[in-house]
Amino acid sequence: MKRYRMFLISMLGLLAILVGFLISNIRENLVYYRTPTEVVDDPPAADAGRFRLGGLVVAGTVVESSTNVTFAVTDGTTTVEVDHVGTPQQLFGEGIGVVLEGTWDGSVFHSDSMIIKHDEQYRTEEGGVYTPDSRYPAP
Amino acid sequence: MIALAGYTGVIIALASAVALVVTGVRCYLADGTPSVSMRLPIIGLVVGAVLAMGALELALITNDFSIEYVARNHSRGTPLLFTVAGAWSALAGSIVLWGLILAGYTAWVWRRITGRDTVGAAALAIMGVVAIFFFGLMATAANPFHTLAQVPADGLGSNPLLQNHILMAFHPPVLYLGYVGMTVPFAFAIAALIAGDGTTQWLERTRRWTLVAWSFLSLGIVLGAWWSYEVLGWGGFWGWDPVENASFLPWLTATAFIHSAVVQRRRGMLQAWNVALIIGTFSLTILGTFLTRSGVVASVHSFTQSAVGPALLAFLLIVVVGGFGLFAMRGHLVASTPRLDSLASREGVFLLNNLLLTLFAFVVLVGTIYPMVLEAFTGDRVSVGAPWFDRSAIPIGLVLLLAMGVGPLAPYRIARPSVLWRRVRFPLQVAAVASALAVVAGLRPITVLITVALAAFVIAGIVRHAHEVVRARPGGYLGEMARLAGSDPGYWGGMIAHVGVALVAVAVAFSGSFGVRQEITLTVGQSAFFEGYTLTYLSPFLREEPNRTVVGATIELSRGGRVLGTLEPRLNQYPNQVQAIPTPSVRTGLREDVYLSLVRIEPGSATVTVDAFRFPLMWLLWLGGLIVFAGGLRSYFGRRRTTAVAALEPADV
Repeated sequence: MKRYRMFLISMLGLLAILVGFLISNIRENLVYYRTPTEVVDDPPAADAGRFRLGGLVVAGTVVESSTNVTFAVTDGTTTVEVDHVGTPQQLFGEGIGVVLEGTWDGSVFHSDSMIIKHDEQYRTEEGGVYTPDSRYPAP
Repeated sequence: MIALAGYTGVIIALASAVALVVTGVRCYLADGTPSVSMRLPIIGLVVGAVLAMGALELALITNDFSIEYVARNHSRGTPLLFTVAGAWSALAGSIVLWGLILAGYTAWVWRRITGRDTVGAAALAIMGVVAIFFFGLMATAANPFHTLAQVPADGLGSNPLLQNHILMAFHPPVLYLGYVGMTVPFAFAIAALIAGDGTTQWLERTRRWTLVAWSFLSLGIVLGAWWSYEVLGWGGFWGWDPVENASFLPWLTATAFIHSAVVQRRRGMLQAWNVALIIGTFSLTILGTFLTRSGVVASVHSFTQSAVGPALLAFLLIVVVGGFGLFAMRGHLVASTPRLDSLASREGVFLLNNLLLTLFAFVVLVGTIYPMVLEAFTGDRVSVGAPWFDRSAIPIGLVLLLAMGVGPLAPYRIARPSVLWRRVRFPLQVAAVASALAVVAGLRPITVLITVALAAFVIAGIVRHAHEVVRARPGGYLGEMARLAGSDPGYWGGMIAHVGVALVAVAVAFSGSFGVRQEITLTVGQSAFFEGYTLTYLSPFLREEPNRTVVGATIELSRGGRVLGTLEPRLNQYPNQVQAIPTPSVRTGLREDVYLSLVRIEPGSATVTVDAFRFPLMWLLWLGGLIVFAGGLRSYFGRRRTTAVAALEPADV
């Protein structure tokens, strides 16, 4: 009986050491996710490296060139300029939610990777839009 | 009406599960006497589960939009296949499928119980407890038969990603057969702990269920990777996403379990370890269900937030604390006495395999749950990058591959160097030739070379053993080779699975190291070069299908002036969805796949932008997965003909 308690305790000890090692290792590989408000209120250091920025594309800000597209993303309170390298996907457009990955130079977010957030909005037969949590329309 | 029938089914199953626990406990307390009949609760469980599933399918097929689940996940235009699959394409329905499979396994366990059986009775009671939880979920938080006061004329249709590919109809049931199947060895292990049964009987008895569950889990993971490759269009099959890890974690510990179970059956060792492993595996399946079903991880698997998350988390805590607590208190009762004779033996390699697999599982577990723990405590939202997982997985995976090659060659008890050398020589030669050929072929990253060498080592070792065994037999060579797997299905089935894993390892190394991505923009009639291929944009197209509108580009693929075919990367617009869903187009070749994913196609303009990928040897990955599945089932269908250890030991050839 004692043997098993000892075994379990020593295994837990080993696991704790391993977790410590893994987490110290993970920390260098974390990609943080920030909202525009967090970026502006608490700007990451210039050498903070890459992080992800999420928000909605602001209407009327999208300017495309052959290699880049610039636009602004907002979380409703704060808006941030984005300079994205590459051709945005078909689904990209005004009002669409995007998650960008790149660096922050203090005024513009330089992104090279864009994920379009798949939204959960549905269309009704009449053409209206509603979310899964909104009520079902009468037939 | 259908809703009422379905809900009645859920209640019948729930009541039967409670009755099963009561009769199971009574039977256990009465020393497993067969006079306490569990027939009625078992029949009730199966009938209730079938009724619930049947009602759900009927409601989907007959467009009964008075049921909220149907209204949300089905529409009139949905094709039949995806209508049927709609029963497991959302939260509540997937729990019904879970319950049905659990009822099936429970009935199967019950059918195989004969005579006085204390452990069996306790195991059925444990399975009853698990059934109470899942049917309880269906009756409350995840009720699939909730009705709407106002019946809509048409439903919303399911998530377009889930009705985009035929694999969607098969991946979830197959994965669930694996996930839920782990309940059986778990129930027997807990029963053995409760009964203080120190024999290896529970393991012997659950071997078949474990193999079935493991085989389906393997197949389910491969199907999931395939689906991700064919549907998601990001150009890969595995991204160390939490939901992928959720299926991989129990696979790792279950794989460790089926190996250490062999040691226990043959040599009577590692008994307590096996109990711990299966408790861990079952806990990981519940963790996986929690991760994928509660909405803590945003993905195609997570449905809307609901009370299911907290319930699953509570159940997970009960399983982990209860299971390991019981193990801490009573583990000594099931402990085995034999000690390892020598680390240089088959048992020694099995032990190494187990340590590596559990280490692997642990590393993946930490990387998977760390972001959630961090967010819970600090509010920081982070993700652990795939490179971290790759860096950890590659060395562990390579050592595992080595152990997989050496293990079957090493004799039990003690491996004399002379015997081992005689068996290892040929595989080593093949590995040397294979890696030399790989170097000549220009394969450079050292990890790829090592993978090729190890895979060749594994396969050559198996081929050599098969050759020696067959040659020693009286019959014709080919005939004996065909009968070989049947002579010791447990062993040869395992070897078939090993071949599959070696092929998968090669495919993963190749696609990871030699995958190429390039963004290409074309106007109609224009051509572009891509990795030796010529892509010519023929025309855009627009197709109206019953359930969707498809916009895409027809692109001709040719190589050296020879037309290989056309690819049609496209966007599917579903009537009820605001956003369109991109679907890639893949041309699978013997050497490599060419994979085109539509980035942008302007209506009214003649240009199209695609992401072009090249992945070598992808077919090997799918084939390897199928071979693993086939190997697992092959060893399931086998019975060991003899039980004496000596008779089973491969001859010292």
